[in-house]
Amino acid sequence: MKRKNQKTSPFFFRLRRFFTVSRLFLIPAFFLLVIFVLYPIVDTVYVSFFSKSGNFVGFDNYNYVLFEKVNPLINTANMLKGIFPMGALIHNLIWIGIHLPLTILLGLAFAVLLRDVKGGTIVKAIVFLGIVVPMVVGGVLFRYVYDKDAGVVNAALRIVGLGEYARDFTQFRQTALFSVILGSVWIWTGFAMIIYSAGLEGIPKDVYEAAEIDGASKWRTFWRITVPMLRATTLVVVTLTLLWELKIFDIVYIVTNGGPGGASSVPAYDMYFEAFYSNNLGSGAAIAVIMTLMTFGVAAYLVNRMSKS
Amino acid sequence: MSKRISGISRIIIAIVLIIVIIVAGALAYIYYFAPTSTTKPLTVYALWSGTEQYNFERVLGNFTENTGINVSYYGQTTTDLLVTVPQQIAAPPYDVDVIIAPWPNWIKDNSPNLTPVTDLVTASQFPTNILTPVSTDGTLWAAPFKLSGKPGFWYRPSFFEANNLTVPTTYDEFKNTLLPAIQAVPGVEAAIASGVDANGLGWPLSDVTEAFIIGLGGYQLQLDLETGPSARNWTDPQVVSVFDDLTGLLEAGYFSTPAEWTGQIAKLWEGKYGLFFEGNFVTAQPQVLNQSDIDFFPFPETNGVSGSVDYAVITKDAPHLDQAKQLVQYLAGAAAQEILVRQGGALATNTNVPASAYSKTDKEVVDFMGQSGITIVPDLDDTIGGQWQQTFWDQLKLLWTDPSNSTMTSVLDTLQTAAIDQQGT
Repeated sequence: MKRKNQKTSPFFFRLRRFFTVSRLFLIPAFFLLVIFVLYPIVDTVYVSFFSKSGNFVGFDNYNYVLFEKVNPLINTANMLKGIFPMGALIHNLIWIGIHLPLTILLGLAFAVLLRDVKGGTIVKAIVFLGIVVPMVVGGVLFRYVYDKDAGVVNAALRIVGLGEYARDFTQFRQTALFSVILGSVWIWTGFAMIIYSAGLEGIPKDVYEAAEIDGASKWRTFWRITVPMLRATTLVVVTLTLLWELKIFDIVYIVTNGGPGGASSVPAYDMYFEAFYSNNLGSGAAIAVIMTLMTFGVAAYLVNRMSKS
Repeated sequence: MSKRISGISRIIIAIVLIIVIIVAGALAYIYYFAPTSTTKPLTVYALWSGTEQYNFERVLGNFTENTGINVSYYGQTTTDLLVTVPQQIAAPPYDVDVIIAPWPNWIKDNSPNLTPVTDLVTASQFPTNILTPVSTDGTLWAAPFKLSGKPGFWYRPSFFEANNLTVPTTYDEFKNTLLPAIQAVPGVEAAIASGVDANGLGWPLSDVTEAFIIGLGGYQLQLDLETGPSARNWTDPQVVSVFDDLTGLLEAGYFSTPAEWTGQIAKLWEGKYGLFFEGNFVTAQPQVLNQSDIDFFPFPETNGVSGSVDYAVITKDAPHLDQAKQLVQYLAGAAAQEILVRQGGALATNTNVPASAYSKTDKEVVDFMGQSGITIVPDLDDTIGGQWQQTFWDQLKLLWTDPSNSTMTSVLDTLQTAAIDQQGT
């Protein structure tokens, strides 16, 4: 055996060790990954350094989309004034700031409250409808939900005597973004609820029984047992929700078209607008690269945390 | 050991070969063997739905009767036609043969993927300024089909009569007498209805804005703005003055919050609004319940009117090229346009269509547009097109819902930046 190894050159030896049969089965997937993931990413980065006319412009496209274009990704002047549009990137942060805690809290609340309730499954199914409904259909629904005359939101305002505030909330710059965010909470809460429900099933019943014997209150049991034991589940929900929020597009496209005046735009919508309305693939690619970096950073951090936990 | 290595190499080579064969086979199938849609009927894309689609399909039905060629119509949204279809026709094979679009710049931009129609259109049958925007170096890329005029404010004569309102002859009467009088009518939400399209795009707002630009600034101002910042800036004092007036009316609450435009026609009919500015295609909408109770008055003291043309184009790799040519030739002809015009809500581009084909209201629109002292100018945002058009629609929605001097200034600055981006300085 020793003699055989000595005869084989180190390069071929390493090659032979690398190409075990099990690794050979990865080759087709590797090819697909290169063609459909790696190549588009590299090409997008490459395109982002070129102008509409095909000239190399360095980082000009990045500067343009971040600060200079009509409705830039970061609109510092409006941010200081506290008016929308503040820039698609800032809108995305606002989105995360509202949507992430709301969906997690609501998802957890529904999962816990409906766990052992008779008919809870039916209520869960109704909540889960949001995630089953295609985003485009959800978007159309929300256009009507906020409609001044036909919408349930304004009908509710009229019923409680606040009819003077009734308006088409998606049409106004100070309410458009929040309207879409709240709509998306309904869409995504079902997802968080289902993952939490599965997580709850994984908590052994005897832990709760022991707590009950020790005289722990329901509230204390929730905070001391349920929440800590759902840590890994929460990480999954946070990761997937964050990634969904970073690439949000369809509901904005359907409900507001990013308007009025860019007040509800998000990076993915801006990317679509730059690339396909203005045919400026360079600036569209620059936004895509910024989004990829954000998504990759968040995903890498959270996946790392997940694997550790 | 060397035998094992060569065995592994053979496996690798085999896998690579299989992948290459599969990819090459798939590409070959796509480019050479995939069905070319020739078994499907001639396919037409346009923006129309509802009554407008029904009226157009009657024209197509007549074509089928005369030629035996079946035609399938597929309605598109504005965004689909603006964004998705150009990508589709840039990457054959595809199903679409004929597209009807109202944007001359869009047609020119996509001309590398279109078939010229120079030989299919008798130029002498059309006003020259209709053909020029869709021609390059003597090649005509589109055949003019339907003309839409945006003549003025639509109203119900019965509503005016019941509330002792009179049609204004001056802008001062319009602004200081008519609008406050309508606003004071019980049950009226706003004097003027504001519309957006079913997908929330603000093109109906751009139509009324253009009426203010032409009415208060003159038709030449609109033509200059169409040329771009080299001719006129959006921050020009004359443009600011027009927008100042418009913003004043918005601030005073004379315009409603924008809502889907056909729904706004229904509310006009219910007496919730007094006026609605739009093209003559308003009369073709089913929400107009009584054709004898709809009329218009032009923007007071205007010297121009905006008109847009729906052009028919043939895709470069149309699956039924010869049949598509026959259809486009037919659509540009007087016979097809007369059928459309007789159904109401549409004007002909072909000058051979007899005046007797028009309904009373449409004839009034034609007469107004042909009147001396009135110049027909191309639709502003349709002419500029591209990213600017979308920005214009979106910025107007902002102005409509948050009217103030600071918003107006920011809107005009944004439009100027977008115009420079697209049209240069």
